[in-house]
Amino acid sequence: MAPKKPRRKIEQNEDSMKSKKGDTSVDMYDRLRVMGTQSNKRPMKKRPKPMLTFSSFARCNLFSLPKSCNSSSSSPSTNSFSEKNVNSQKKNSKKVEETESSSDDDYDDDDEEDEVEEETVQVDFEFFDPKPGDFHGVKLLLQRYLDNYQWNLSGFVDLILAQTTVGTVVKSADSEEDADDSDGDKEEADEEELFAVITALNLGRYQDNQCIKELKQYLLGVCKEESTKVKLRQVLEKDARDAGLLVCQRFANCPYQVVLKLYEALFDEISWATEDEPTQVLRDSFRFKHYLVITKILENKGPLLQKAVKRKADWVEPVIYMKQEDEILHEMSSWSFTFELSAEELAPPEFKGYKKLGLVLLIKAEAIAKFLKKLKSLVETL
Amino acid sequence: MATRLQFENNCEVGVFSKLTNKYCLVAIGGSESFYSVFESELAGVIPVVKTSIAGTRIVGRMCAGNKNGLLLPHTTTDQELQHIRNCLPDEVVVQRVEERLSALGNCVACNDHVALTHPDLDRETEELIADVLGVEVFRQTIAGNILVGSYCVFSNRGGLVHPHTSIEDLDELSTLLQVPLVAGTVNRGSEVIAGGMTVNDWTAFCGSDTTATELSVIESVFKLREAQPTAIVDEMRRSLIDTYV
Repeated sequence: MAPKKPRRKIEQNEDSMKSKKGDTSVDMYDRLRVMGTQSNKRPMKKRPKPMLTFSSFARCNLFSLPKSCNSSSSSPSTNSFSEKNVNSQKKNSKKVEETESSSDDDYDDDDEEDEVEEETVQVDFEFFDPKPGDFHGVKLLLQRYLDNYQWNLSGFVDLILAQTTVGTVVKSADSEEDADDSDGDKEEADEEELFAVITALNLGRYQDNQCIKELKQYLLGVCKEESTKVKLRQVLEKDARDAGLLVCQRFANCPYQVVLKLYEALFDEISWATEDEPTQVLRDSFRFKHYLVITKILENKGPLLQKAVKRKADWVEPVIYMKQEDEILHEMSSWSFTFELSAEELAPPEFKGYKKLGLVLLIKAEAIAKFLKKLKSLVETL
Repeated sequence: MATRLQFENNCEVGVFSKLTNKYCLVAIGGSESFYSVFESELAGVIPVVKTSIAGTRIVGRMCAGNKNGLLLPHTTTDQELQHIRNCLPDEVVVQRVEERLSALGNCVACNDHVALTHPDLDRETEELIADVLGVEVFRQTIAGNILVGSYCVFSNRGGLVHPHTSIEDLDELSTLLQVPLVAGTVNRGSEVIAGGMTVNDWTAFCGSDTTATELSVIESVFKLREAQPTAIVDEMRRSLIDTYV
């Protein structure tokens, strides 16, 4: 424990431009590289052996993977985000917006690859402390957080970015294309490159902020079950000081190795914050007893379920979780409720007959260790 | 006067609306508050028309227009075209354009006298723009970007362009357009100027993320403050008072 603390204290004083956990000796953040051996062994055309996954959605996802996207969550020993990636084995960096990165050669490869064999794409994700420059990226990820409710989203994003001790943003280490650009362009590219954000906000500490007040109002408004509403009100008002709002948003199809590291990083930071924060008030504000999670699920529309269940045994699920960890959280939650979303959103074609609903759940802090274990075993099977 | 507002938590006001000196187009959907802000500023002066273009809400980016006319992409439906024609004043010519680049708002930036267009626009479209909108057309790029309609916005009194525009380019454009230009941002550092705001000769609408600095730059370059009583008093003071003792 002792060697860890001084290193972290120094980092907190450092310019937040630097990525965190620089010269790391902590196991968790060692550079991981998952080599692309899977694709060679198992051509995707044959049906893989049955996998132990939690839901058929995950199995669908597995079968439909076109290329094995290998991601490595790396501890940035590179100092600033503008430094080139040291990894010399990196072939191609996959960008979310594929406009300017892929050259013509890459497009040809994509065509050939379906016929020949999968090309492994190596992507390095870097974890950073939130900083004010990430505003636009985080705002984009949180655009639909409260459905289309008009609230102070900018204020909420500012809150997340101000809390640098607990919270992580994920960017891609994508400096090869930017090497020739001017500094301004590099910064611009980094701003847009945000892939995921995770944080935990103490509802009591920020209760005076307009965005948190509006969020509470929204939750109380959408909760239709009276009994759950009472419990929700309790958490939001009386027990707010012990409750943390767990916010995790990422781009679709984010590799689960990254997700696992995100959650582990967050809960580590929370436990470190309870020791490292300068004032007692702040230290206590991270001793969460509960976590509140707002997320979305797909629920089967109803009457079809009966017939389908008789015909194809486990093919039709009553509920599909868009984020895998939500299933674990839901199982372990103290209470939860679903609500209708007002925005007209078309369900993706493979999920016809399903309706998108919002889900709010509360999970005890003690259950988190078990949650992380379950998440780890889930990720290992994916 | 510049007003800050949002469309469904989205600060890209210039995407969901199109403002000119003679009319204003606003997207359908979103909450009524978006439409009502426009109404409260413009009611009685110019018509505020709720519409979609090609079934989309991104009306600001799909069409290009000024006080003389409005150009719509070929994907506009007949009902939409009819609806817009009915609501707009008769002197405004509404025309559908057969152009491969259908997001006309991104390809064309114009005021009542001059237009800047995407370098790859068809010759026929360029002629149509000159005819319908009554403007002189120039093919230009802004800070190396071909989507001139996205990265600059100008009225008859001033203009705001992409922050990375060089001084030489600024001077050149300023001479072409005959209005003062400033390189700046909107919505807390967003470079897509025309997406974040919309402006005419006396008013502007910006996204709610726009900082006070950005707003003051907008108000000064588009000369929106001169309608304010305080500005007039300052002018008078300068001419009346010779020296302070």
